[in-house]
Amino acid sequence: MNKRTDRIYVAGFAVLLFAFSLLFLFTPKKAFSEMENRSLQKKPQLTWEKLLDKTFSEQTESFVTDHFPLRDQWVAVKSTMEQLRLQQENNGIYKGKDGFLFEQFAEPEPLDLAKFAEAVNKFAYKNPHANISFLLAPTSIGVYPERLPWLASAYPQSIVNGTIMEQVREHVRFINGFDFLKPAAEKKPDRDLYYRTDHHWTTYGAYLAYRAYAEQMGWPPMEESEFDIRTVTNSFLGSFHTRSQFNGLKPDSIQAYLPKNKVESEMYIFDDDTTVQGLYEDSYLAKKDKYSYFLGGVHALMTIKTELPTDDVDLDKLLVIKDSYAHSVLPFLAMHVPEIHVIDLRYYNGNISSYMKENDIKDVLLLFNTTTFSDGQEILKLGY
Amino acid sequence: MVFSSLLFLFLFLPAVLALYFISPWRIKNFVLFAASLVFYAWGEPVYIVIMLLSTVTDYGFGLLLGRPGLSAGKRKAVVALSIAVNLALLSYFKYADFLIGNLNALLGTDIPLTDLALPIGISFYTFQSMSYIIDVYRGTVKAQRNWLDFATFVSLFPQLVAGPIVQYSTVAEQLRNRKVTTELFAEGVRRFTIGLAKKVLLANNIGLLWDTISGTNPLMMPALMAWLGIVAFAFQIYFDFSGYSDMAIGLGLMFGFRFNENFNRPYTAQSITDFWRRWHISLSTWFRDYVYIPLGGNRRGLLMQLRNILIVWMLTGFWHGASWNFLLWGLYFGVLLIGEKMFLLKLLQRLPRWVRHVYALLLILIGWVFFAFEELPSIGQYLLAMAGSNGQPAWNDETLYLLYTNAILLVVLIIASMPKRQLRLADKMPILKLSWHFALLLLSIAYLVDATFNPFLYFRF
Repeated sequence: MNKRTDRIYVAGFAVLLFAFSLLFLFTPKKAFSEMENRSLQKKPQLTWEKLLDKTFSEQTESFVTDHFPLRDQWVAVKSTMEQLRLQQENNGIYKGKDGFLFEQFAEPEPLDLAKFAEAVNKFAYKNPHANISFLLAPTSIGVYPERLPWLASAYPQSIVNGTIMEQVREHVRFINGFDFLKPAAEKKPDRDLYYRTDHHWTTYGAYLAYRAYAEQMGWPPMEESEFDIRTVTNSFLGSFHTRSQFNGLKPDSIQAYLPKNKVESEMYIFDDDTTVQGLYEDSYLAKKDKYSYFLGGVHALMTIKTELPTDDVDLDKLLVIKDSYAHSVLPFLAMHVPEIHVIDLRYYNGNISSYMKENDIKDVLLLFNTTTFSDGQEILKLGY
Repeated sequence: MVFSSLLFLFLFLPAVLALYFISPWRIKNFVLFAASLVFYAWGEPVYIVIMLLSTVTDYGFGLLLGRPGLSAGKRKAVVALSIAVNLALLSYFKYADFLIGNLNALLGTDIPLTDLALPIGISFYTFQSMSYIIDVYRGTVKAQRNWLDFATFVSLFPQLVAGPIVQYSTVAEQLRNRKVTTELFAEGVRRFTIGLAKKVLLANNIGLLWDTISGTNPLMMPALMAWLGIVAFAFQIYFDFSGYSDMAIGLGLMFGFRFNENFNRPYTAQSITDFWRRWHISLSTWFRDYVYIPLGGNRRGLLMQLRNILIVWMLTGFWHGASWNFLLWGLYFGVLLIGEKMFLLKLLQRLPRWVRHVYALLLILIGWVFFAFEELPSIGQYLLAMAGSNGQPAWNDETLYLLYTNAILLVVLIIASMPKRQLRLADKMPILKLSWHFALLLLSIAYLVDATFNPFLYFRF
């Protein structure tokens, strides 16, 4: 090494360190990351207490990493490198065939599964007069394992669904998502049942779930021809994309099934005591989190009231206890039930059985996907 | 604080460098000491007291030993007391729960565990302090009269939390008299960059492979996957540890210190004896100088030598952690080293080079199984999986998937473990070398940023 090169080393290192240091210190800080869909760490306050219990150092570290200059670009560089070295995963997301991304699915702990199934049974036991259906939907990795990267494997969700079915079917009416999704995938492989870049099912997938539930309830399901199927966006890059940051992906489109015979629905959201007209929130289509177009995202508790012609009413009241897979199913259910109560277990902390008594609810639909169900401690709230 | 964090790289380090270089010479050690305290207190606001306590007492013991006219008996007592204090600290925080747990299991007693977290770096700074006291006692170094200089030596942040174990004699002169030149600083930048890349690009990524495989039930594991896993672990631990040593050495250079090398291409070893001359050199040297030789080394006949080897290697194993598997790991190497001393080395000399290399690598890899699993049954099950004796096929789809998705990384790791050949081209065209180092630095930053990339997955419900 000659002296001139050494000087460049010293200068280059110093410039790099100080430039990013100053950029970090003096650029304005964002409060929310659209890309990561979360609030970023605020500037930590120094107190003795926080210093001694290490929260100050932890928060400072998050503060630096959350607001690091060019954060999104660094993340993209890493993702590119990982793909260049033939790695088929990034941050727990597989880059599958046909532009499909998948979230890894490992074998769930059998004891956990048994506990969760037991919670469902307890719920049925506590509400002996209720008519309870339980729809368990696989996620995309369960239905499309052949689209995983070469030689990659996932634990079969069909086994998980089968196990749970065995444990609950004497207490609730079980609908296995595989029964209607798998045949549809085989019959029309071109129609996507799931988004490629997001963990949710498409509105078509949701429609099939609705049909299966309607048939089980003995309602005449509406045909696809009775809807005006509209593409509301073509630029949906969902949660799998957010996590993996794989580049070169084709964005998904989102369809809305709008009934040709129009009905008026309104949502009352208990969380913030607001009433919203309609079941869709257009403003989300301009944001990252486009799936929240359905129902405006997650709410702990809400009711959906729909004005239906008396002939169309198949059931007066229904309670749906669900994860976000239900968001695109609920507009279909609203075509049959004028009053739907919707509870999200993660945020709702009340007693569900007493809620049912207070509101005189006799019919319940539990709707979860296999991933949520098999690692969601929240399911246990059903048994309380 | 750890070196491989954005906070260290872009706030702590620039601030300390700036302060250090604008300070006049007489307060430079104070700047380093203060910076080291912040560095340590960042992760251990309370335990800093223990480190300072250890520093103050050994400074005092050193002064005592330095007094002319102290009788031989008193000098011995001072050394013994100092070692007792250091070992007591180390035992209380590191080994007490292991002892209690085993006592309870053995005697059926119910002594409560202390449940103390291990103070960061305690295994390193107590060893450094002991080396100082023993060296002063032996008269190989002079006692340090300046408390600040001594405290700077013990707490020096580049080597405080994960070594290398710097013996006082190495830096005694540099504490009073050192100069940072452009050449030295540039070499520091190169060493630090290489270390950072080893840790962030290599160790962390191959660590993901080990995480996947070690999470698989060894009773169901194909042999090829078990081998792939332990190879991944071997690479992870080497690049993690030697990367950290490189960063420490590089940072030392930036402040004008020259620490000794801690690794020398250990996976090129031709025997286990050779391996231990190349792996964690500062620790083996410490045990050689302060345990093996005082025990008599090889000067008191073969039997005593074998005893000494066994003691040293059990201690080495136990130093790595308070658990039976580390003792076993040490014992394993102790036995191998004895075997080599008695006849294996002579036998190996007659074999071709590549056979010796394969022999060493195989035994090292098997050794890592003892190191990687704390639970003894898991060690047995994993070794059975490697031997293909668990009734599983030799490989499965998952094995092949893990192999091809990590193939490029594995090739890079192998090349990075091989002897360093100077590329003539790089010497003639320094710009190439320069771009290489800065590319590594930038890539490491990208991986560091991504490691904290934490999308809120709004979808669980």
